[in-house]
Amino acid sequence: MAYLALALGLALPWMLGFALLCACDWPAGSAVTERGAAGGTALRLGYGYIVGLLLLTLWMRVLSFAGISLGRLSIGVPLLALAAALLAWARRRQRIPLQALRAAPRVLLAPPLSGWQRVAWRLLSCWLALRFALLAAEVAWRPLYPWNAWVEWATKARVWYELGRIVPFVNADAWLAGAGAAGAYFDASPNYPATVPLLQVWSCIALGRWDDSAMNWPWPLMLLALSLCVYGALRDAGLPLLGALVGAYLVASLPLLDVHVALAGYADLMMACVYTLSALAFYRWTLDRDRRDAALALLLALACPLIELPGVIWAATLLPGAVIALLPRQGPRLVALGFGVAALVLLFLAQSSPLILGHSLHVDFEPPWRSLAEAYFLFANWHLLWYAVAALSIIGARRLARPPLVALTAVVVSGLAFLGVVFTLTNLAAWMADFTAVNRATLHLAPLLVMLCVLLWRELSQARPAAVAPVALATADA
Amino acid sequence: MPVSSAPPATTPAAASKRVRSASLGALALGVVSCVLGYLVLAVPGAWFGAAPQLQWTGRELSLTRGAGGFTAGAMALIAPDATRTVVVSLHTTLRAQDYPVVAWNVTAIPDGVEAALLWYNDLQPSRLFSRPLTVEAGRIAPALLRADPHWIGRIDGLALVLRGSFAEPITVHGVAARPMSAAQVLGDRLGEWLAFEPWNGASINTLTGGADAQDLPLPILLAAVVGVAALAFAALARWKPEVLGPAQGSVIAAFFVAAWFILDARWQWNLVRQVEGTYRQYAGKSWQDRHLAAEDGPLFAFIEKVRAKLPAPPVRVFMVADAHYFRDRGAYHLYPYNVYFDPWSNTTPPSSAVHAGDYLVVYQRRGVEYNAAEQSLRWDGSPPVKAELVLLDGPGSLFRIL
Repeated sequence: MAYLALALGLALPWMLGFALLCACDWPAGSAVTERGAAGGTALRLGYGYIVGLLLLTLWMRVLSFAGISLGRLSIGVPLLALAAALLAWARRRQRIPLQALRAAPRVLLAPPLSGWQRVAWRLLSCWLALRFALLAAEVAWRPLYPWNAWVEWATKARVWYELGRIVPFVNADAWLAGAGAAGAYFDASPNYPATVPLLQVWSCIALGRWDDSAMNWPWPLMLLALSLCVYGALRDAGLPLLGALVGAYLVASLPLLDVHVALAGYADLMMACVYTLSALAFYRWTLDRDRRDAALALLLALACPLIELPGVIWAATLLPGAVIALLPRQGPRLVALGFGVAALVLLFLAQSSPLILGHSLHVDFEPPWRSLAEAYFLFANWHLLWYAVAALSIIGARRLARPPLVALTAVVVSGLAFLGVVFTLTNLAAWMADFTAVNRATLHLAPLLVMLCVLLWRELSQARPAAVAPVALATADA
Repeated sequence: MPVSSAPPATTPAAASKRVRSASLGALALGVVSCVLGYLVLAVPGAWFGAAPQLQWTGRELSLTRGAGGFTAGAMALIAPDATRTVVVSLHTTLRAQDYPVVAWNVTAIPDGVEAALLWYNDLQPSRLFSRPLTVEAGRIAPALLRADPHWIGRIDGLALVLRGSFAEPITVHGVAARPMSAAQVLGDRLGEWLAFEPWNGASINTLTGGADAQDLPLPILLAAVVGVAALAFAALARWKPEVLGPAQGSVIAAFFVAAWFILDARWQWNLVRQVEGTYRQYAGKSWQDRHLAAEDGPLFAFIEKVRAKLPAPPVRVFMVADAHYFRDRGAYHLYPYNVYFDPWSNTTPPSSAVHAGDYLVVYQRRGVEYNAAEQSLRWDGSPPVKAELVLLDGPGSLFRIL
């Protein structure tokens, strides 16, 4: 019974987010158009979960602020009612893709493919299903394991769950000076945002008891949602069924992403999901200029700082892309100028070692490149992602600098520049030697990098000039 | 729609067959050239017809200097001698020419401990030869001795020397003299790639992809194979554009996805083995029992006893322990009590910050003194405070500040 309640609790944010997106008819025309049928439903389902998680935690903050105890009734009933109302409203306007939802299992089990493609689809689907099952088994059985999960995230979850409200966490000096006696708590990172602990609190509330394994069920669901979004976005971009599934597989099989599901409890996976979804919504907006895409991109970008402190920087990496999208002619020059000015400002600031987001800037002329190369190219963290990035950035440099990819490229380059600053100009560089920081910082950008690589590959494939044999054309026509 | 008035040079099926043949040929070229290239660099002796590998377990070795003992087929080195040296030796009768590599299987070598290989041969039996060994990730890298002018004749004795201090035991699993034929080199690499990599404290940050130390990481080999195959296919497509040109992108993408899948199969296989272990350790248990079965089970059991003695939350509780892990993990188990601990260094709270009604949990912490007769508690030389011993259980204790 408890696990049924947990399942319903996990389904609630999914239903809420899905209902909201249906009500907004996002992506545009998903329920009725051919393009919508291709990827829209997967996008709605994927985005729906992440959006629902954010809404859930915002509602929990509101309740706590209002002095209302966090519980099944106070959280579940209003959100369920809201989801039902949104669904009913969407249904009246025929915005629920019922046909696509009914067709989804059929497409999954018997895709409209022939020959080896059908076999490949089934094998890959089974492979992914096995991967998710293995990750889910780890989440279900393993007690909270990774260090930071129990020293800076679940600490808050345990306190807030047991007390039924959000209470402040303060730093050591404040706690010892008397805040502790006044009811404030302390942990290793008292200034970290509340979103991730609140997700864990809700899982325990739904379950009806504290359980530091079961509270992490949102993590595999986040990876599932991310995979759906990638699949949907690639279908939406015109990739065939199998191509889109391969793209989703490339993201879902990134080993470090999988580790963050199996050893759940860190905020990095959610950061990666929210940032990637924001960037993909932004990319859709650059293509269609649909305001709903822009609104979604903006809302998800604004949510980034609610997940991790560097989220504010990740959100800011969308700005160069937005400048290029809004000013196609002068934009690239403005962005290049902005990068130059930012580099000069950073180098100037680094002379005096200021603290930014808890990390001190300083110039390091010997950053640990060897550790970076090992982490990206030799170890098993990213499979072949960085080889693909290196090769495609050379082969496809021109395509990256032209529409339709240029705005998304600017976002990714900004993200890479941010990582470059982190690895060379901050004290985090010292943590690169033992790989404490390098991969986790990269994790936030990795799914988007995969997406850009796949989209670029598609652009390059389409760009093949017409040195085409008559046979090939005849085959295509057939 | 008719595309061209020219008659097709061949049928679609034949064209597709050509693309398939060309892509398989390019892939085979990539695999063969990369593997052969690596073997040329890595195989020190004869590729074929080598002598069989010689292997000795830890139990067959002698501890000449230092302290230690045997555990399940291995030798555990507990402490060095007064000169901070440990020597492990064995008698051999192997032909140096046949065995260019000596590989010591030793684990848990801490930073700062230096390793060296000693040997003597039948040509100069009174002379002892030495070669420094490389320590990587707590293990000793295999020593390539083929080019050493003293690695000749019959080797009558081998020894491992470790110099430096160590607190935790070092385990010597054995030693092997390897002929290093092509098959053995490939077998070694395969063994490294498929070695089980269980979860550890660093897994959340990085994955090595098999053994801790690898001579040839699989990603770089597969990337090289894909690179060569892609270049070969691109060259073919340039040569025969009318047959292969349009398929170029798809074929190269297929090479890439296939290589990715091989890496992913290794990762999934590792995950399967990990889940099997996790299942055996935790499945079917309540969340408390899972913690009792975990690495910190004794600590969790102690904290459960502490919780049974504490009044209902929120009470202020101070947690101290020498070990970083115990201090932070103990604090985690104590929430939702209002816990204070030092997450980064082994410090104690100032006694002025501790008030009547607070509690202090001590777990494996030196420097905490309690005088039961006077109910006086002090730590790290700070002024004493009045306290009552509430619980004493093995390495841990709980005090209530009066």
